[in-house]
Amino acid sequence: MRVLILIGALFIFNGCAIKNVKAWEKETLAKNTMKTGGVNTLLKKFENHVYFSKEASKGGGGVAGGGCGCN
Amino acid sequence: MKILATILLFSSLLFGYQIGDKIDSDIKEKLSIEDDKIYIIDFFASWCPSCEKEMPYISKVNELIDKDKVEIIGVGVDEDVKKGEEFVKRVKANFKIVNDPKSNIIKKFDPIGMPALYFIKKDVVVASIIGAKDDIDKIILNKLKDLK
Repeated sequence: MRVLILIGALFIFNGCAIKNVKAWEKETLAKNTMKTGGVNTLLKKFENHVYFSKEASKGGGGVAGGGCGCN
Repeated sequence: MKILATILLFSSLLFGYQIGDKIDSDIKEKLSIEDDKIYIIDFFASWCPSCEKEMPYISKVNELIDKDKVEIIGVGVDEDVKKGEEFVKRVKANFKIVNDPKSNIIKKFDPIGMPALYFIKKDVVVASIIGAKDDIDKIILNKLKDLK
């Protein structure tokens, strides 16, 4: 019974496993709409400027990588 | 010990080709690779800006190399082959292009990013350049000098 539960749990939790996106699968991630600032990056720039003026700090809004995985 | 040996044996299947690995015969066939030359395999996609930037430099290298000794093969990994072909026309690539819409070739190499260049000599991966680099033409030519 325990073995069956274990096997069942393995099947269920397998769906939670993190699957890496391979370099050749990043077409959607490379689209403009996937950029941190969305399609219009200028708007994000203004938003960041307001944030910087109010908070006296900037950065930390994005993540490294994405796109085609280039440097 | 046995587990470690098995992991090592199948490491190329898990992580893709590493330097020193021999390429499979089906890949050789798909890319029409012979033993007599050094092959530079360039993986690119139409949606990869760095690939677009790098392409003219690789075309420049193709003009400078001795074609009897070195051959450049571009592998387009676009799922939509038409997009890939339009990209090749746009960047005016002057070397042989192989389309890999089902990712059968690139899966074997499994690069962590693109553009990805692999140097193959006598069926063995002897060097690789992953990601966008400044002066890639000079880097390629220097690598070729080392490999000859």
